[in-house]
Amino acid sequence: MSLAERGGDSSCRPPRTRMRPLLVSQALIRSFSSSARHHFQNRVAEKQKLFQESNDIPVHLKGGTTDQLLYRLTMALTLGGTVYSLYCLGWASFPHKK
Amino acid sequence: MNHQTHAFHMVNPSPWPLTGALSALLITSGLTMWFHFNSMTLMLLGLLACIMTMYQWWRDIVREGTYQGHHTPTVQKGLRYGMVLFIISEVFFFAGFFWAFYHSSLAPTPELGGYWPPAGINPLNPTEVPLLNTAILLASGVSITWAHHSLMEGHRKHVIQSLLTTIILGIYFTLLQASEYFEAPFTISDGIYGSTFFVATGFHGLHVIIGSTFLTVCLIRQLLFHFTSKHHFGFEAAAWYWHFVDVVWLFLYVSIYWWGS
Repeated sequence: MSLAERGGDSSCRPPRTRMRPLLVSQALIRSFSSSARHHFQNRVAEKQKLFQESNDIPVHLKGGTTDQLLYRLTMALTLGGTVYSLYCLGWASFPHKK
Repeated sequence: MNHQTHAFHMVNPSPWPLTGALSALLITSGLTMWFHFNSMTLMLLGLLACIMTMYQWWRDIVREGTYQGHHTPTVQKGLRYGMVLFIISEVFFFAGFFWAFYHSSLAPTPELGGYWPPAGINPLNPTEVPLLNTAILLASGVSITWAHHSLMEGHRKHVIQSLLTTIILGIYFTLLQASEYFEAPFTISDGIYGSTFFVATGFHGLHVIIGSTFLTVCLIRQLLFHFTSKHHFGFEAAAWYWHFVDVVWLFLYVSIYWWGS
């Protein structure tokens, strides 16, 4: 399959079929401008390439190793917290001497 | 590579609904631990997990829309319906607090002295800071409309300026309101007046903060070239939410600050 069909090339056209999702926004490419004064450059095309790579990685992990880290931290906090909340429930269910 | 033959978005499996739900468990059970046993650990854990969930979930939506192109016109229509329905649910949320206010203020009980504002309450002067706050939010409504038109016309610099103006006005409102809260001669525990005043204006203030945050995210996305002149639903959703916040304030001002004094 060509790079253009996959939408990895920033100059490709959207597929003619109405049913196909738009892989690259043409208007976005046209609005490209770099402004040295604001130190911002349009890097959306690079991101589009990264996130459209055919590697079967789900979107919440597709950005790289930071994604893995954040995911593991979030899961650890929620699962650990859930266990802790059950412990608290157990503790609160019984009287304690003041 | 798989190709879909429909215009809809079949999302990848995601862990965020689970972590979001568990964080809600931690926040609520954490509130109990805080209220009854003076321990904030569980609640803070829950709040942290909630914020992380929100960050990653919305980050993924940006990836799916802007980077992967999944937000077709059909999908965008669904997102619009979703935002409208959410705002309607928020209208009902505030309707409850307005109901409570009018229930108590239209027929003040003998314990209050039979009149409103109740005996012993010195309400805030509606022509002072509250009026300024009204002007601030109305002005922010103008600036966000300027931002939208600039966006549709492709004036990048104007979008940034007007969006920044809107955010600054929102922060200004929040700071002024915080100062009013600090200086007010009555507290939340001063009977039904205090309860209705601070719960209604307090939730409104929270929504101003949420709206300002949403607008800040839009500003960042604008700086990163995410929005196009034809496709910028995230911005529109933020603008709708901001106008909703403004309208709620107008009702608060007229009902509680003005009529209620």
